Amino acid sequence: MSTQTKNGYMLIFRGTDWHKGLSPEEMQKVSEQWMAWFKRLTEQGRAVAGNPLEREGKVVSGKNGRVVADGPFAESKEAIGGYFLLKVDRLEEAVAIAQECPGLPYGVRVEVRPVMGQCPLASEATPEAQLTEATA
Amino acid sequence: MNAKNEYLLLLRGTEWWGNLTPEDLQKTMDQVKAWFERLTESGTLKAAQPLAREGAIVSGKTGRVVADGPFAESKEVIGGYVLVQVRSLDDAIAVAQSCPTLRFGMEVEVRPVAEECLMTKHGRQIMPEEQLASA
Repeated sequence: MSTQTKNGYMLIFRGTDWHKGLSPEEMQKVSEQWMAWFKRLTEQGRAVAGNPLEREGKVVSGKNGRVVADGPFAESKEAIGGYFLLKVDRLEEAVAIAQECPGLPYGVRVEVRPVMGQCPLASEATPEAQLTEATA
Repeated sequence: MNAKNEYLLLLRGTEWWGNLTPEDLQKTMDQVKAWFERLTESGTLKAAQPLAREGAIVSGKTGRVVADGPFAESKEVIGGYVLVQVRSLDDAIAVAQSCPTLRFGMEVEVRPVAEECLMTKHGRQIMPEEQLASA
């Protein structure tokens, strides 16, 4: 649990229906807490991007990508509701930020994943073969 | 479908390259690189990053439960993301369909980026506008 990365971490918020049982007031409160949390992290320079996702989408699969299904398929507690990109150096720091997530008391789970500098395929192949880091 | 016309493509599946020959691996990498170059040149690509296989899952009411993660089977695990800006969901699907690693069993989840927190939206639907503060 001491992974370090200079590329930051992605927080993936899992759970999409957890707010359904909340009263409108509670929902607004959590929503404001969440936005204030992101604003604070952004001001501190610890969050660099973040987005909520629409509940619906598609899943593309099959050898030529011909299979297009309504998605996500995952149970609503596993489905991804949004994400943050963090600019922090240590997994412990990213986990500490995840622990502040205002959705946790309602059953949201936060997946914390180190961002890699290069495509994992590149590290499998020849050392000089490096995939250009495609960040716009 | 959304104001910024942004779509998040979640690339699902890790370790599918384990059985590729060095030649196939090199070929696939070249294809992926060319794919990103095309998306960059057409102005479609906003951001893209691979994710490391390890990480953590934080859960529990106060976030005290920290487990090594992700737990999902490797074919479900998110191996990376691509953020694109296109005109429609159909265009985002077309980008997903052009992903060179689909043939190895990778799946691409295409999700519209929401304009605002879905709770705020839901709150507005069930509450009169004036009751909602500047959210």
